[in-house]
This record gives sequence, structure tokens and C-alpha cells, in this order.
Amino acid sequence: MDLRSRLRRRAVQSPVVLVAVLPGATELRLDVEAELRRRGWDIAGAPAVADLLVVCGSPDPDVGRRLDTLRRAMPQPALRVDVSRPGRAAQALDEGLALLSERAASPSESASGHEDAGAGEHQAHSGSGSAPAEPGHGAPHGHEHQHPGHEAAGHTEQDAHGGHGGHDHHAMSTVAGLPMADRADDRDGLRLDRLLLPLGPVLADWPAGLILRCALQGDIVQEVRVDRLPGPPDGTSFWNEPWLRASRGEPVALGVGARRRCAAHLDSLGRLLSLAGWGDPAARLRRLRDEVLDGAPAGQCGERLRAVAGRVERSRTLRWGLAGLGRLPAERARRWGVTGPALEADGDVHDRLLVWLREARRAVRDFDDVRPLPAGELIGPRGTVGGSRPPSQALLDVLPELLAGAEFGCARLIVASLDPDVDESVAVSAGDGAHV
Amino acid sequence: MSEAVPPWAVVILPIALVSVAVVTVGFDAVLSAAAVRGRPGSLRELGFRAAAPLREVLRLLVQPSRRTTAADTALGRIGVVLVPVAAVLAGAVLPLGFRSLSDPTVGIVWFNAMEALAWAAVWLTGWGPNSALSLIGGYRFLAQGLAYELPHMFAITTAALGAESLQVGEVVAAQDGLWFAVWMPVAFFVYLLSAMAMSFWGPFGHPLGRDAAGGAAMELSGVDRLVFLGGRWLLMVVTAGVSVPLFLGGGHGPLLPAWAWTLVKTALVLAALVAGRRLLPTLRMERYTEFAWLVLVPATLLQALVVAVVVLNR
Repeated sequence: MDLRSRLRRRAVQSPVVLVAVLPGATELRLDVEAELRRRGWDIAGAPAVADLLVVCGSPDPDVGRRLDTLRRAMPQPALRVDVSRPGRAAQALDEGLALLSERAASPSESASGHEDAGAGEHQAHSGSGSAPAEPGHGAPHGHEHQHPGHEAAGHTEQDAHGGHGGHDHHAMSTVAGLPMADRADDRDGLRLDRLLLPLGPVLADWPAGLILRCALQGDIVQEVRVDRLPGPPDGTSFWNEPWLRASRGEPVALGVGARRRCAAHLDSLGRLLSLAGWGDPAARLRRLRDEVLDGAPAGQCGERLRAVAGRVERSRTLRWGLAGLGRLPAERARRWGVTGPALEADGDVHDRLLVWLREARRAVRDFDDVRPLPAGELIGPRGTVGGSRPPSQALLDVLPELLAGAEFGCARLIVASLDPDVDESVAVSAGDGAHV
Repeated sequence: MSEAVPPWAVVILPIALVSVAVVTVGFDAVLSAAAVRGRPGSLRELGFRAAAPLREVLRLLVQPSRRTTAADTALGRIGVVLVPVAAVLAGAVLPLGFRSLSDPTVGIVWFNAMEALAWAAVWLTGWGPNSALSLIGGYRFLAQGLAYELPHMFAITTAALGAESLQVGEVVAAQDGLWFAVWMPVAFFVYLLSAMAMSFWGPFGHPLGRDAAGGAAMELSGVDRLVFLGGRWLLMVVTAGVSVPLFLGGGHGPLLPAWAWTLVKTALVLAALVAGRRLLPTLRMERYTEFAWLVLVPATLLQALVVAVVVLNR
């Protein structure tokens, strides 16, 4: 082996991983995140950074095609492994590493030999042929299928585009096969370019499987339509599981629910703080989340949580940055059917963050409670479980109203502060199949 | 005060800057890893974590670059390359002890001009790939520039005012005895803020924000990414380093030789910034601009006024 291939192999020993999470795969995501942390591998914020795509969940053929588009947006060799069952994260990452090393040693080799190297639960897909990333597949607008769409005139037209926005060229001028953005009135009545940009389903610190179809003017979100990837048919959310089991009459200890609630809030907090650009407490809370789920003693969890939570609660800079964003008064929240922390917060993004912190700290006290969850009161981390509508439905329903007119960065923070869980069987308005 | 340097110093400067940057990034990586993975179990583990940026360098060197559809490759590349170039050019007036590569009579203006190249660099990098989030990141830096640049200029003007010269060597000479940081604390504090802002790092990292999936740097891979992000650290080292001659007395200090004092002070400033970064979330410019214009601009102007009065009565 010559020096160059040795260097190449050495270079891929700690790859950066893009994690694509499908609805219903929260548990797999937590597995993968914990395993990545153990290895010290970084999680990519965008495809351009990544060496390896790790898919959590079992994609159907349609979603599989979308994931392939995402993979092609990565630099060569753009390899993919799937994790479709709990406890397989380490094995899948090992396999990904082996594939990367193999490709690094002989970069020009055709990929055909690697197809489905792992039989069974996780397949390893290697690059489609040895062709370098074709310009046309370079996913020009970041994540998968983010073609700049366009709107002709008015809302009807836009709605008609919904199902295939971006591919429908009309008589508009195109550049490199992509339609140019059209214009529309902005909030001050000026005619400005209007770009249709889908956010998600794969985006760093984003609710897995959620798609927001945004009309952007500059970096102002003008209008939003909520869409999603198809989820698991039973709608079992990992975060709601203890309460769903209790609603079916199974005996579930209060402590089990408390741990799950605490971990769910820590997960949401990690996302929100990471987006707010405060990686340090975000990372600490995520580590704590995994310890809580692993059954760490309540005393230890409580102590660590107090330390980080205190820092976050006292931060004036954070309060200054988040105050006034995504204001959702209790009265309006109730009208939309919002329950849980978002209702209790009765305020902006920062208020919701404080409620999560408070509830997480309260939950730690009940970790060792072995009494059964009371059957009547089924309030999960995101609200009332077991009713006719899953709690995240209301959180999704308020999104368009809260996001209209928000700056792009603020919109991300608002979504993260509600953190809807698409694993729940939430429905999106009809007529928007998942194939833009 | 400043002395002539041999011609080979032209080669030494980038190497020295890169070395300091590597140590700084290593320190940053250790602190980050402590948050993500907890305390290191052993010294060996600590070393492994500190070497993470070097492994990342190797990874990026090997990783092929990728292109996006209808990208403006030429402009994007110019933006990427401009970051380290601006850092090294700005570093030309940075004295090690009392010697710098060049000590023109308008050294402070030169530094400010080179640092302002970052405006073009980040915006071009954001523009290049024809990608919406990348462009949003690029524009964020323009807003950031509007917020930090005025207070920053008043801050460095104050230092020049105190020395009655725009020559960096003269500013250092004027601090033989009392450091400017002591009697110009507001200017020093504002300078540290703008040092982070102009290297779009830490609390001022919004142009490369996680919320925009990496913003201006989102579409960069391979060597492009290495040059851009590496250049950012160089810029950070230079801007932090310039605070030493402007406010912390340059090479002045007891016992140690002048060059050692410069290094010690630079290391302390960098360590304070890297560690202090962990206390703050990212500042969004729609909020910070108000603070910058309503609080920092008047504060730095007042500081300049006080210094001017002192200088006139000297």
C-alpha cells in the first residue's frame, strides 16, 4: 500500500456523519447519537460536510429515492448505511467505517461490489457507480429536493404547485434547469423575489420527518405549509410510549413516565439550545438525556441537571435573544387545542424553554416512584395523550400562524421551541403528497 | 521603537500564525469534547481530543470537493481564499515583541482595511454555491458588519488617539508604563467583541449558524472548507493578537523578553475568548445591532472623548 492510500485510510477513521431520521425511528436516533458520541465522530449539519449517511428507520422505496438524492449531495464516496432495529447502531457504524476505508484504499474502484454488503437488518449502499457527483444532482439548495420553486400569481397558483413545486417550469425562465424565483408583494408592499424552499425532512436539529414548505422573501418566511414524511402506521411515539401503554390498561410505574418526560424535554432543549448557538449546554443536556434513559440514579441526574439548567435559566443573553419570538398566549393556544408545556408556558420561545427546564427538574424527583401512572391523567411530554388528537397535531396546526413574517433563524427557533413529534400520527392538510 | 526584520520573516509570519491557530483550535476542541463526552479519563485521551482538529484537517485534505448546480465557482473560491489572505495581510503589522513584518505610519488603518476584506469574503462564499441557506448566511455577515464595524473603528481610533499616532509601533511605545486597557477599558472591551465579530466566530458565529445548516460554509467541502474555516481561525488569532499591541502594552513587561510577553498576552486573550465563548449563545444581529448602535457607539465615543481630553491636557 502506498503512502497516499495509507493517508486516505487514516483520514476516514473519524468520519463526519449525516443522520437522516425517518418518522418512528426516535429510539434508533438516540442509539446512533449515543454511539457517535462514544466514538467521538461528529454529526454533520449539512450533506456537504458528511462522509457517511446513516439512515435511522426502514425507508419505503419512495423515501429511499429521496434519501439517495440526499446522498448524492454529499462529497464522494457518499456512502450510506441503514439502522433499522434497536441495538444495531454500533454494527452499522462499523460497517460504514469499513466501507469508507475500503473506498479510501482504492478510490477509483467501481462501487458495484458493495451493494447490500450487509444482509438483513442494515444494508450498506455505496455510491451509485463510480461517477463523480453530477452537477445536476448536486442538490443546489442544501437538503434534499430543495429546488427553488416559484409561484406565478396568488395563492391558488401556489397551492396548485404544492404537489410538484419546483419541477413545474411554466413559461418561466430557467437557469441550469432550475426555475427562477418569481416575485410577489412582501410585507411592506414591495415586489420582491419569492423563493419556495422546503425545510426538512432531513435537517440538523429538526423534528424528524417534518417538512415545512416555506415561501421566503429574502430571509423572511412569508408563508408556511406543513407537510410530513409518512410515519409508522400505529403512530406509536417513543416519547409518549409509557402513557400510551397506561391508556391501554398496562401497569406502568410513575418513575418510568417521569424518566421519559425528563428525557423528552432534555432532547427538545438540546435542539433549541443548539439552534440558539449555545452548543455547550446543548451537548451537556443531550448527554444527560442518554444517562436518564439508561437509568442513571436520580440523585446524579438531578445534580447535573441543576448545574446546567441554572446556567441556562440565568443567562440574560439567551433571554434577550429569545424573548418575544413566537408568542403564543394561553388563550390562543387553547383555541388551537394545544396542551402540555406550550400551553403552560403562555408566552414566547424563552418561556417555553423555561417550562421544559422546570418540568424536567420536577420529573427527576419522581424517577424512583414505583406507583402506577394514574389511568385518568395521561399527560405526556407534549400534552394530553390518548385523546382524539395526538398532542403534536395542535403544535403543527399553530405553526403557519406563528411562522408567518418571522426571520429565517427565528422561524427555526420557534419550530424548535414547540418541537412537534412527527412520530405521533399527526395528519397534514390533504393534497400535499410527499413528492415535491 | 520597532526594528527592521530580516526578509525571511515573510515566510515565518504565516507559519507562526498557523501554529498559534492550531494550538487555539486544539484548546477549543478539548473544551467542546468535555461538554459532549464528559471529562477525559486519561492524559492520553486528552491528547487525542486535542488532536481532533488535526484529524479533521487530514479528512478535509483527502475529501473531494463537490459542486452545486449553477454555482458561481470563481466568486465562491475568491471568497474562500480571501479569508486566510486577509488574516495574513492584517498580521503584517502585528508586532512580535517590538518587531513586526512592516510598521507603516498608518498601520492601524492597514489592519482595519485588511480585516474589512472579511466582509467580501464571507458574502462571496455565501453567494458562490447558489444555495438559499448559504446565501442567508452570507447576508447575515453584512448585517453583522453594520453592527460591529462602527464601535470597532471608534475603539481602535481611541487607542491611536492615546498614542497620537496610527503607527502600531508608536502605540506600543506609548504604553511603556500604563497599558491602554487600564485607562480605556470600554475601548478594550468593545475591541474584544469586534475581534470575535470580524472573525465571525463564537457568539458572532451566526453567519455560519447551525440554524442555517452551516450558513455561508454550508456547501463547502474538502479543501475549500479547510481554507475557509482554517482562515477563520487565523483571522481570530490575528484580531486577538492585535489587541496586545493596541491595549495590553505589546512586548512591555518585566523579566521576560519582549517576544515572550507578546506570546503570553496573546495566549491569554485567546484562552479567555475560547473559554468565554461557552458562556454565551449566538447573538442574532436583529437584536445586537440595536445594542451596538444605541449603547456601544455612544460608549466608545465617550471613551474617545475622555482620552482626547486627557491627551490634550498632557
